Amino acid sequence: MKTLLKNALMAGALAAGTAFAAQAAMAQDSIYLPNLSYRTGPFASTGIPLMNGQRDYMMMLNERDGGVNGVKLGYDECETGYNTEKGVECYEKTKADAAITQPWSTGITLQVLPKTNVDKIPVLAPGYGFSPMADGKTFQWAFNPPASYWDGASMILKAISDGNLDNLEGKKIALLHLDHPYGKEPIPLFEAMAEKHGFTFLPIPVGLKEMQNQSAQWLQIRRERPDFVLMWGWGAMNAGAITEAAKTRYPMDQFIGIWWSSLDSDLKLVGEEGKGYRAISWNVPNSDSPVMQDIKKYVVDPGKSLINQGEGEFDWVFYQRGVMISMMLVEGIKAAQEEFDAKVPTPEQVRWGLENLNIDEAKLEELGMTGMLVPFKTSCADHTGHGGGWMLEWNGSKFEKVSDLITPDREAIAPLEAEKAKEYAEANAPWPVNDECKM
Amino acid sequence: MLYRTAGQFKTSYEADFALFPVKQDSILLAAVLVLAFVVFPLTANEFAFRALLIPVLIYALAALGLNILTGYAGQLSLGTGAFMGVGAYACYKLITIFPEMNLLVAIALSGFFSAAVGVAFGLPSLRIKGFYLAIATLAAQFFLVWLFEKWAWLYNYNASGAIQVPNIDMFGFTVAGPRAPAITQYYFVLIVVSIVTFFAINVTRGRIGRIWKSVRDMDIAAELVGINLMKAKLSAFFVSSYVVGVAGALFVFAWRGAAEPNLFDIPLSFRVLFIAIIGGLGSILGNFLGAILIVALPVVLGFLPDVFGVPISSSAVEHLNVMIIGALIVTFLIVEPHGLARFWAVIREKLIIWPFPH
Repeated sequence: MKTLLKNALMAGALAAGTAFAAQAAMAQDSIYLPNLSYRTGPFASTGIPLMNGQRDYMMMLNERDGGVNGVKLGYDECETGYNTEKGVECYEKTKADAAITQPWSTGITLQVLPKTNVDKIPVLAPGYGFSPMADGKTFQWAFNPPASYWDGASMILKAISDGNLDNLEGKKIALLHLDHPYGKEPIPLFEAMAEKHGFTFLPIPVGLKEMQNQSAQWLQIRRERPDFVLMWGWGAMNAGAITEAAKTRYPMDQFIGIWWSSLDSDLKLVGEEGKGYRAISWNVPNSDSPVMQDIKKYVVDPGKSLINQGEGEFDWVFYQRGVMISMMLVEGIKAAQEEFDAKVPTPEQVRWGLENLNIDEAKLEELGMTGMLVPFKTSCADHTGHGGGWMLEWNGSKFEKVSDLITPDREAIAPLEAEKAKEYAEANAPWPVNDECKM
Repeated sequence: MLYRTAGQFKTSYEADFALFPVKQDSILLAAVLVLAFVVFPLTANEFAFRALLIPVLIYALAALGLNILTGYAGQLSLGTGAFMGVGAYACYKLITIFPEMNLLVAIALSGFFSAAVGVAFGLPSLRIKGFYLAIATLAAQFFLVWLFEKWAWLYNYNASGAIQVPNIDMFGFTVAGPRAPAITQYYFVLIVVSIVTFFAINVTRGRIGRIWKSVRDMDIAAELVGINLMKAKLSAFFVSSYVVGVAGALFVFAWRGAAEPNLFDIPLSFRVLFIAIIGGLGSILGNFLGAILIVALPVVLGFLPDVFGVPISSSAVEHLNVMIIGALIVTFLIVEPHGLARFWAVIREKLIIWPFPH
C-alpha cells in the first residue's frame, strides 16, 4: 500500500513535469503522437511497462537530440483502461491533430480500423491486431510490424517441430487462449496447419471471468494430455495459467506462449518452478545496449521515468518492447521527413514512412539496438514485414534468448491472409483498395 | 414566478388530462427539443456527438427500458446488458441476411427478438420476487453472453468472434458503419429515442402503466381487484425488453460500429441499472438525467484539467474521475434518495409556490 501510494505520488509529480514539458514543446515545432494507453483496469499490469517503454524512448530522444530532425515528439497518452468505450472516446478526442493512432486493444482496433479510410490516420499496432492487416493494399492505413499473430503461430509450430511441421503428425497441440477477439485470432491458422500436417488441434478457451481461476481448463489439459500447450494470454490470464501449470506440475518445456505472454512479473510469481517456460518474441531485452544506457542516462537517472525500479522493470522484456515500438514509429516519421522534406509530416506522410521502413542490422546498430529487434522491411503491399522472432526461455529469474532467428512459413500464411483480407473488404464495402501499389 | 400556475384554467377533461397540464412544462420541453434538434447539431463537433450526445441518448433509452420493468412494474432485473446484446445481434443478423432492409425496420424488428427472450426469462417472475428474481435475470445475463460467444452463426463465423457494422444507407444518407457522419447518426438516434420516449410516457400514464404500478406497490392487492398478474408482469417484461433491445441495436449500429460478446457483460447491466436508480425509478425524465450524470459527466470532467491548465497525466485523471463520480452518486442519493427526477420535481414544486415557503 505504501509503495502504491508512493508510486501514485511519484507518477502524479512526474506527470506534472511532463505535461509542462509538453506544453512548452507545443510552442515549438512538434508532432502529436497520441497513445491510447491502459495504465488502469484489468490489463494494467501488462500495459504499464509497455507504455513506460514507449514514453521513455520518446523522452530520451527529446532530451538527447531535441526530438527528430529538430521536431519535438509530442507523446501523449489518453487513458482507456482497455475499455472499448473509452477507446473510441480517446480516438475521437485525439484524432484532429494526431499523426498516428495506437489503439492497443483488439476491440478498439476493430472499431478504429474501418474509420481509418475516412479519417486518414495511420494505425500502428505492432505485433497485435488483425493478422490480415499485413495486406497493405487492402488495409492501407494499418500497420502491424514486425510480425502478426499468424506469423507467431507459425514460428511456434516451427520451433516445437524442429523446423519440419510434419514431425508433429499424430501429436496433440492445445491452445490455451483468452476467449476474446485477441485469443481467437490464431485459430484459423492452427486449424489449417493441423489439417495439412496431421496433428490434433485443441482450442481451450479461458473466459474473461475465469482468467484468475483456470482450474477447469487445466483439468482438461491433464485429462487430454496434449504434447504441447500454446498460450495466447493477456493480463491476469498469463499469471493464472503459469501458476496453475506450476501447481499441476505441467512440464514447462512443453508450454509456450506468444509474445504478449512473456511478462517478467508473471513468471516471477513462480520463480524457479517456471524454469523452462518459453515464449516467442520479436524483441530481446539488453539493458547494456547503447540505447538503453541512453534512456538510463537521460530519463531514468534524472528521475523522469515512471518505471518501478524496485521491481527491475528496466530489464523487462515488455519495457524494452515498448522502446522498440516507439523506435518503429520514430523511424517512420524520420523516413517521412526525409522523403517529403517536411519538418512536421502529415498523417499521410507518416503512412508513407511506415510503409517504407527498413530496419536492417545496420540500422539497428546505428540506433544502438543490435540484436534487440528482428530486422524487417515493410512495403506498400506488406505492412507487417514478417521479421520473425526468437524463443525466449525463463531461467528462473529472467528471460533468455535460446534460439536463432525463426521465420514464419509465409507460403502457408499468405494465401490465408489474402482470403481473409478480401472477406473483410467485401463485408465492409465500399472499401477502397490501394491500386497504386504494384508489388 | 417563473412557474406560476395561477390563471391556467382547464375547461375540458381533455385539457385536464393533457400530457403537460402546466403551460411552463410544455415550454420547457419545447426548449429542450429545440436544443436537441437544432442547437446541438449546429454547434457540436464530432467529438461531442460521438462521446457525449449519442451515448447519452442510447443509455437513456436502455435505462428507460429497464425503468419500465423495475421502476413501474417493480420487477428487479440484472440482465439488461444481455437483452441489449440480443437486440444488437438480432439487428446484425437481420442486416446481414437481408442487406436491403431499411435499418429503421431492422431495429424495430430486433426489439421483438429481445422482447421474446425477455418474456422467456421473465416467466420465473410469476413465482418469485425481489432478490430471487434478480438472480433469475442474472442467469439470463450469464447464459446469453455465453451464447454470444459460442454460437458462431450469430457473428457469421467471424474469426475474431466480433460483429462489425457494414455501411448502411437509408434514404440516401449513410446512417451506420464507418462512413456514417456523426450528425446523421445523432439525428437517427434522436428520432428513435424521441418516438420510443413518446410512447413510453403515454403507456406508463395510461391503463397499462397503472396496472404495472399497482403490481409494483402490492401484487396481492392488485390481484384482489382483478388484475391478471401474469399478464401484467409478462407485458412489463415484453415492453421493457423491447425498448432495451432497440437500445442495444442502436448501441452497436449507431454508435460503436463493432462489438464483441463481453461488451454486453454484467458491467453494462449495472451501468444501466445505476442510470435508472440515480435518475429515479418510476420516472421517464430520470433516465435522461441519470444518463447525463453517469455517461456525460466523466467525459466532461476529463477535460477540466486541460481547460484549467492543471498538468496531470491521463491515467490519474481516470482515477480521479472514478472517485468524483462515485462521490457524486453517494451525495445525490443522500440528498435525494428517489433520484434526480424527484430532485427536479421538488425544485419545480418550490418554483410553483414561490415566493411562499409552503
